[in-house]
Amino acid sequence: MDQSHIRNFCIIAHIDHGKSTLADRMMELTDTVAKRDMEAQLLDSMDIERERGITIKASAVRMFYTAEDGQQYMFNLIDTPGHVDFTYEVSRALKACEGAVLVVDATQGIEAQTLANVYLAIDNDLEVLPVINKVDLPSAEPERVVQEIEDVIGLPAEDAPRVSAKTGLHVEEVLARIVDQVPPPSGDETAPTKALIFDCLYDNYKGALSYVRVFDGCIKPGMRIKSMATGHEFDVTEVGVFTPQWKTVDALSAGEVGYVAASIKSVEETKVGDTLTDVDNPAKEPLPGYMKVNPMVYCGIYPADGSHYGDLMEALDKLKLNDASLSYEKETSAALGYGFRCGFLGLLHMEIITERLEREFDLDLVTTSPSVVYRVKLMSGETVVIDNPANLPDPSEIEYMEEPMVQASIMTPPDYVGPIMELCQNNRGIFEHMDYIEKDRVKILYTLPLNEIIYDFFDSLKSRSKGYASFDYELKEYQKSDLVRLDFLLNGDMCDALSTIVHKDRAYPKGRAVCEKLKDVIPRQQFEIPVQAAIGGKIIARETVKAVRKDVLAKCYGGDISRKKKLLEKQKEGKKRMRQVGTVAVPSDAFMSVLRING
Amino acid sequence: MTGIYVHIPYCVRKCAYCDFCSVPRDDTMGAYPAALSREIELSRDRLPYEGPVPSIFFGGGTPTVLSAEALSGVLDTIRRTYDLLPEAEISIECNPGMADFQKLKRLREAGFNRLSLGLQATENSLLQSIGRIHTFEQFLSTYQAAREAGFHNINVDLMHGLPGQTQQMYLKSLETVCDLEPEHISAYALILEEGTPLYEQVQMGRTILPDEDAVADMEDAGMAYLTWRGFERYEVSNFAKPGYACRHNLSYWDHAPYLGFGVAAHSSAKGKGEWLRWSNTESIPSYIKKLQKDKLPRQETLHIDKKEEAFEVVMLGLRKVAGIPKNAFIDRFGLTMEQAFPEAYVEIQCHGWWADTDTHYRLTPKGMDYLNTALCYFR
Repeated sequence: MDQSHIRNFCIIAHIDHGKSTLADRMMELTDTVAKRDMEAQLLDSMDIERERGITIKASAVRMFYTAEDGQQYMFNLIDTPGHVDFTYEVSRALKACEGAVLVVDATQGIEAQTLANVYLAIDNDLEVLPVINKVDLPSAEPERVVQEIEDVIGLPAEDAPRVSAKTGLHVEEVLARIVDQVPPPSGDETAPTKALIFDCLYDNYKGALSYVRVFDGCIKPGMRIKSMATGHEFDVTEVGVFTPQWKTVDALSAGEVGYVAASIKSVEETKVGDTLTDVDNPAKEPLPGYMKVNPMVYCGIYPADGSHYGDLMEALDKLKLNDASLSYEKETSAALGYGFRCGFLGLLHMEIITERLEREFDLDLVTTSPSVVYRVKLMSGETVVIDNPANLPDPSEIEYMEEPMVQASIMTPPDYVGPIMELCQNNRGIFEHMDYIEKDRVKILYTLPLNEIIYDFFDSLKSRSKGYASFDYELKEYQKSDLVRLDFLLNGDMCDALSTIVHKDRAYPKGRAVCEKLKDVIPRQQFEIPVQAAIGGKIIARETVKAVRKDVLAKCYGGDISRKKKLLEKQKEGKKRMRQVGTVAVPSDAFMSVLRING
Repeated sequence: MTGIYVHIPYCVRKCAYCDFCSVPRDDTMGAYPAALSREIELSRDRLPYEGPVPSIFFGGGTPTVLSAEALSGVLDTIRRTYDLLPEAEISIECNPGMADFQKLKRLREAGFNRLSLGLQATENSLLQSIGRIHTFEQFLSTYQAAREAGFHNINVDLMHGLPGQTQQMYLKSLETVCDLEPEHISAYALILEEGTPLYEQVQMGRTILPDEDAVADMEDAGMAYLTWRGFERYEVSNFAKPGYACRHNLSYWDHAPYLGFGVAAHSSAKGKGEWLRWSNTESIPSYIKKLQKDKLPRQETLHIDKKEEAFEVVMLGLRKVAGIPKNAFIDRFGLTMEQAFPEAYVEIQCHGWWADTDTHYRLTPKGMDYLNTALCYFR
């Protein structure tokens, strides 16, 4: 198909504003998927996505639309994640498009996270098409939302389609607008091949698959292609498109979106953001590079059963191919043995990765206290970067420490301003600015230390605003800060997996809270266990796990024997899931249970 | 030698903490004794049996919900079918208020020579809180009637760790019972079993049980008190005047063979080669139906290999204060304990829990407190 009949676009929307539902309707209207095969929210194919109602991975689908003029157009819809942690995923998806459909809920208006993605689209020169969704709801206020789009984003929205993705109302009009307003791709089919990898996936049968947008030239099976970033060469074995199931095609040519299967052996050989080109007729320059992502949050991930270390490594290798923003390296802990230090875009990203590891790879994991990246200026004049509390140099060697600050922007109905400001204040926030965007929407700006928001900030925000407030942040700068490493000792032995770097003022409440929690989760053993929080060897909080007095079955007669054996079996199994910290056996879940405690 | 257990699954009402196989009295009760007798007869040639029989135990449920005649009938069938030792211990469980002098006398005359009374506590409020249907006063009259009827070997069951129970209350219960001078006392810590009404109540927060430490205190105080009153602890929860340890229960802890008759009854005996454990169906109608067709009502059979058998010997034997006779262990497995379980032996040594004598492997009282921990090393 010639490029003038191709439209590549994405949909930008806040969580729950109806992006996936709109995509489903489009697929129905274009007969991409028969209505009877329609599974609600087809694009969100991961279990976690459906359960949480969010999109984590970019996903793509090809549709054919016959416009009113009788001409057929090829639509490539690239789905994008909506959460703040996944800005990088969004930026990759945007690179592959010429246009973006901005879906705004007529009952809610624009959310902070949506704004961030809209600006990202505008920065990428995408044509943005506003669509007002959920107009069928009684509380819909389409005119107010139109006004908001014009005021806040500065986009003309007066004639934006007013749709209901749920009922299908006016969705056809969105398709027509895409033909009219989204520019067609303008690549050169005869030029040397340039294809951008915007996503990767590991398939058990096909191996590593690259999702690409071809800009110039074409890719077809039999071709020898080269990664311009790594120099690795591959033979293309198959190319295809998403219908949304994979379907092989003869070639992917300029302007098209699809997947490439090649003889890619190692997951390390393909990089998202990389440009693929023809070995025989290589392009001179790669496509403009992607934003490099730096992990904001780190934590250690360990198998609950130490013998599953190899499985964990393999799982991470596969997930990495799927999720370029994940980074990890080997790490060892005295308490937890062999594992990995993993870097994430944010706390949700961390949760999703651990959940995917557990679900998709059937692993049982222990994660350690999350940490941000600190800069430590040493007495020697050298500066070191620390993402693991265990590596923090001795306090006597440290001149000062710096921690990352973020600019947080919170949108909320005015009723919750008080509690939200209190929350920010409690988390060492510095108030910057407050704006009444309109009469029932306030935007609050705070500077917050990142290490305060990686624990339970988002949950607290939601609970203090009855779920109405939304939150977005971006890394601002590093700031000098009075930080200490808080250690925890069990029966006198330090447990490295629990160490955490905190602001001095937060150390005591946090130490107390963690000790109290540990007291509850560490099972009583045959001796008394002091549970202590310490800073540099000085104990600041203590709890005691009392010794167990009796561990014996009161009764065991003839009929009980098989059953009692099973009980012992269970007790023994439980022991296997314990980690030995010095003299103390600690259940794997105990490490997890203290994670979210933030003094 | 093979012991015999007879299960009578009926109860007037199931107690709140009970997870044994028991049901309310119903119309299967009429056919049950005959089915039992049939099972006993059929078993004689079909089950592994090495005579004679040193002990018989009628348990439940509440065996005394059946008439003295029905119970005597079953006992007679056993006598006719198996060869009993002349001095065999023949026990029957009874709940207070469930048997009067006449009934007890008939049971005594039929040959029952040991009575086990489920008292549990002496405070009526405590009895009510755990769903017992009798009062302490009813217990007293049953106890006295039993003495008059000629029972010279009586056990009283008592519990600690009951909702609202204090150590003082528990010690008072023990004192009251000791004053009656029974030959045997079983003193159990309440086990909160999943699926029982009491478990639900505790989960919902409607019933509060004494905490772990309070229960341990009661247990320790109770043990000391019973010692003072002339009882000897011979198993984790069992105390007896000299010469009155329950032979039948000891045979379980000695890992001796026994045959169980009745619904849901368990058996354990040496098969052809390996040790076997098997159990009967838990459904009364299908139990009766099978026996009417002259079929054994077996539900499940477990084959216990030598290693497992050795573990069982340890698990059961270390419950006894006297421990496991070394000779018997070596004869049975051809190995000493150190050879059979080298790692466990050392672990327990490190804890200082062995109190071996020349003749027995046994644990210190501290080791017995942590018996489960100790047993995990043997797995």
